[in-house]
Amino acid sequence: MINEHRRKQLLDLMAARGWDSILLYGNAWRKDPFRSLVNLNFSGDHALARLARSGEINTTFSDPWDAENASGTLQPDFEKAFAGGASAVAGLEFMEERFVAACGALPVSATADVEELRRVKTAEEIGYIKQACDLADRGYQRFVEVAEPGMREFELVAEVEAFLKENGAEDNFMLIASGGTEVVGMKPPTERKFQKGDSVTTELTPQVNGYYAQICRTLILGEPSLEQRKSFEIFSEAQCAAQDLIKPGITAADAARAQNDVFRKYGYGEYTGAKYTRVRGHCLGLYPDETPHILEDVDYVLKQDMVVIAHPNTYLPLSGYMVFGDTLLITETGNTRLNKTEKKLFTK
Amino acid sequence: MKRGLITWDKADLPPSVFEARLAKARAALVAQDLPALLVYSDVWRSTEGRHLTNYMPYWNRSLIVIPREQAPVLLCGLSPRVYPWIKSVTVFEEIRPASKLVPTLLQLCTERGWTKLGVLDLPRLPHEIHLPLATSNVGISGVKLDLTDDAEIAMLRRAEQMAREILTAELSKGVGLTDYQFSGLLERAFRRAGAEDLVLLFSTGDAAPRPAHGAMLRDKYSVAVALEYRGHWARVRQGLPL
Repeated sequence: MINEHRRKQLLDLMAARGWDSILLYGNAWRKDPFRSLVNLNFSGDHALARLARSGEINTTFSDPWDAENASGTLQPDFEKAFAGGASAVAGLEFMEERFVAACGALPVSATADVEELRRVKTAEEIGYIKQACDLADRGYQRFVEVAEPGMREFELVAEVEAFLKENGAEDNFMLIASGGTEVVGMKPPTERKFQKGDSVTTELTPQVNGYYAQICRTLILGEPSLEQRKSFEIFSEAQCAAQDLIKPGITAADAARAQNDVFRKYGYGEYTGAKYTRVRGHCLGLYPDETPHILEDVDYVLKQDMVVIAHPNTYLPLSGYMVFGDTLLITETGNTRLNKTEKKLFTK
Repeated sequence: MKRGLITWDKADLPPSVFEARLAKARAALVAQDLPALLVYSDVWRSTEGRHLTNYMPYWNRSLIVIPREQAPVLLCGLSPRVYPWIKSVTVFEEIRPASKLVPTLLQLCTERGWTKLGVLDLPRLPHEIHLPLATSNVGISGVKLDLTDDAEIAMLRRAEQMAREILTAELSKGVGLTDYQFSGLLERAFRRAGAEDLVLLFSTGDAAPRPAHGAMLRDKYSVAVALEYRGHWARVRQGLPL
């Protein structure tokens, strides 16, 4: 449950910064700062780990079941968990103000420092992400198997969710869309029924042992149109351009530019901007949308053992919103694609 | 993130319900002489914003602004590409993109000439929102609202009934399965019935309930279900033997 590598990293960080103690706070939405040291899937509202310079860790939970399962301290009045304050807090930004006030003196934010420590994965973490990738692949296979005209979007998500949970997923980040050129983005599922000829897109992101991996694919129900095929060729070329380029030493901006340049080459440069898309990829780990984001204005230098997804997901007038992307582990000289799902436009 | 069916069934919650709730919020503003109410909302803290506007941030976070004399405004970190969908399931007619929430809020205050704001549940505002707001030239004061009404209670009863009925029908099917397998079975049943979100905890009697972790369910186990149905959470727990 305790990430010993992280404990050592944090103790080194505390020594370098002159911090006597550090708090790692997690809530029901952002469990990741807490789980970066104590990898427990807590189910209550709040969890807090306190690491002292001695290396001692104390955990406090707002929910009695979490406290019992973790042999931690139960504190239903969670403000009291912050009594005595701390030098620094990871997760300070999304802590409720009453918790910050309970610290007394305002602690320093350790969020950025801890996120940087988390970016380079250990062998154990990479192992978990590989398991999540395998589940993402099998989950997408299930997605293709069960999707059919007449089924509603939320029913398809229910089937995929059931499959992922049956196979050990803790959580899943999943967006979906269906239709034609009128579709400009993805969102939670609606009651819309799939129709023949629909483009059905999904980002599927199961979490295993705390760690997320992602796959993005597009499924055409029926024979793809010429425009859908042409569109997919552009997406495939863009994703391959990023995958061919990503290695230690290049920047997130380089990886974004490689993808966007393919769209520009075909006259679709305007569809690489914020009006039509969000990011060209992102890091993965204890949070499904870790930074740095793959964007042309992000100069972060990628490192070995970071895990990223490159996905040129955007709207094109040819096909409507389309997605395509795989999880990549950055190696010493390049990267390894962790998804095994065939790189193609799926049809059924 | 929320990946169940998020919708607005106006037979359940007609627009008049939200009009009454907004009127109650505006009455609180009048009582405190405040020009607008701020409601924070994120993927896990959506109950108050949902009650007032039916808005559910399936991912990310948002600020809901309820002016005393104008229509509510949503300041939203989600892409403008999903605004048509948001408008289809909420009372909002005005949504402003806000990758940086507080600067967008302060801009709105400047436009409307507001020098103070009421904040629902002020002590629970995230630090990242609270700090720049508290140090801005817009004064903030806490506002309390009673979020209970007949429609809310009726929806909570429906959510509780749904949770209880499905769990009762499915409970015995877990015998001989792992908690992972049973979790999948329950996810399918609840989400196909329209659950927006679901938290499942299992116990075989040797420890407190916890998320599925591969334990075998034999003839004695319990399941705790927290179910969100159309923005309303219900918790039920049942066990075998009955």
